[in-house]
Amino acid sequence: MKKIVSFLLIACSLFLTASAQDDLLGGLIQEDASKVKQNFTTATFKSTRIINMQSIEMTGKGNLQFMISHHFPNFWNEGKGWQNLAQMFGFNSGVATTYLSFDYSFLDWMNVGFAMTGNSRYETWGKFRLMRQQTGKRNIPVTIDYFALASVDASDGPSPDDLTWNRFSYVHQLLIGRKFSDKISLQLIPSLIHYNHVPYGIKNTNNIFNIGLGGRYKLSHKTALTFEYSRQLNGYKNLLDEGASAVNYVADLVSIGYDWDTGGHIFQFYLTSTTSSLNATQLSANQNNFAKGNFSLGFTINRSYGIKKVVQSH
Amino acid sequence: MKKITLLLFVICCAAGFINAQTYKTRDGNIFFNPNKDQSKKDYASNSKEATAVLKAETSEVALLVPMKTFHFNNALLEEHFNDNYLHSDKFPNATYKGKLIGFNKDMLTKDGVYHISSDGQITLHGVTKNFSAPVKLEVKGKTAVFNCVFKIKAEEYNIDIPGLVKPKLADETPLVANISFPLN
Repeated sequence: MKKIVSFLLIACSLFLTASAQDDLLGGLIQEDASKVKQNFTTATFKSTRIINMQSIEMTGKGNLQFMISHHFPNFWNEGKGWQNLAQMFGFNSGVATTYLSFDYSFLDWMNVGFAMTGNSRYETWGKFRLMRQQTGKRNIPVTIDYFALASVDASDGPSPDDLTWNRFSYVHQLLIGRKFSDKISLQLIPSLIHYNHVPYGIKNTNNIFNIGLGGRYKLSHKTALTFEYSRQLNGYKNLLDEGASAVNYVADLVSIGYDWDTGGHIFQFYLTSTTSSLNATQLSANQNNFAKGNFSLGFTINRSYGIKKVVQSH
Repeated sequence: MKKITLLLFVICCAAGFINAQTYKTRDGNIFFNPNKDQSKKDYASNSKEATAVLKAETSEVALLVPMKTFHFNNALLEEHFNDNYLHSDKFPNATYKGKLIGFNKDMLTKDGVYHISSDGQITLHGVTKNFSAPVKLEVKGKTAVFNCVFKIKAEEYNIDIPGLVKPKLADETPLVANISFPLN
């Protein structure tokens, strides 16, 4: 019996000391620390694009993003001499491919967009987050997005009687990205480009595969260096074009860039071995050989707007 | 003997209970609007997940808010807030620890509006500063709502704001803390 009494007394005194803990804040901090938190990785890349390719980033939920991008002609044209300088290495040539796009995220994991790409072409896309890099209760090392884009050529082409269906082409990409550290992020991009119609030719193919790698290195909170390399795996040699003459494309797409986040806008400046602003063309019909110095300047400006209000004041 | 044991037990428990007369909430609301023009809300943000405790006996209060629970209308701003300004991975929480001045526990038993104040320390972005501000306490039925409007200076907490953004922001950021305790 005495044992029980003393046990109860000890138990009670323990209870008393525990509840008489003076440090209220300490209790809160302990409670917060003991919660199992899910840490989602954010800001793997600055923008929704690395350079030409899509990044795993999406415009935030309820946000509308407006993007404008320009690709200028080649940086250096052989035999043009001082005219290259007069044209400010393509910047002042008077010719540029303009790409205007709007995209909106209805959900955390879903983004849809629409773009006018110049040359009477239009694009629309959906980007879906399949997996998100996180630590905590669940550990997932990478973020994976599926990106699907449909492109239509509405120009007055060589054969206006073409079936409308023949004017469509598609890009499917898996974006597999990982933020390795605060500074370094890398992304793997396998892609499939499908043309509903290609000219007749033994080597011509409707489906073209690519494998790409992109990354960024953060220089400061506002700036980052980026790079991209993509390799076309098939359908670039000994093709025939609409006029049945032989064409060869360059399988490599190389780009380096510089991101600058001003707080309101994100500017991206880059040198890239393509003059096209279309993902499908860049990845399946690139005519610029980086080994010969066929680089061109380009830039992208992003701005996003909070459409859906989530902040409430009292 | 048994009776004595039981009595001892009850006394101990009761003492423990009285001592532990604290109130707690997990959905405290904190709002701030750093815009220079306060009619604009484009940089405004709020968190609805502040945890707070009040010890009525000693008028002690404590509050903790995880930085990542602050949300903005523009997702990009939220990213900048966490990554560039508040470094939320390094300093995950903002805390307040202090006393209510002019408060007594009887206020919680009677409906009404009371004007009191609070004195203590804010810890934000790894910097601890003394703090004092008037507090409005509204007791109504089974809830006690503490409302505190105050201002803080970003540079006092080593929060570095780039020159490009500075002209758009107020020198002192006004905040509103609205903490509601269920009284049970």
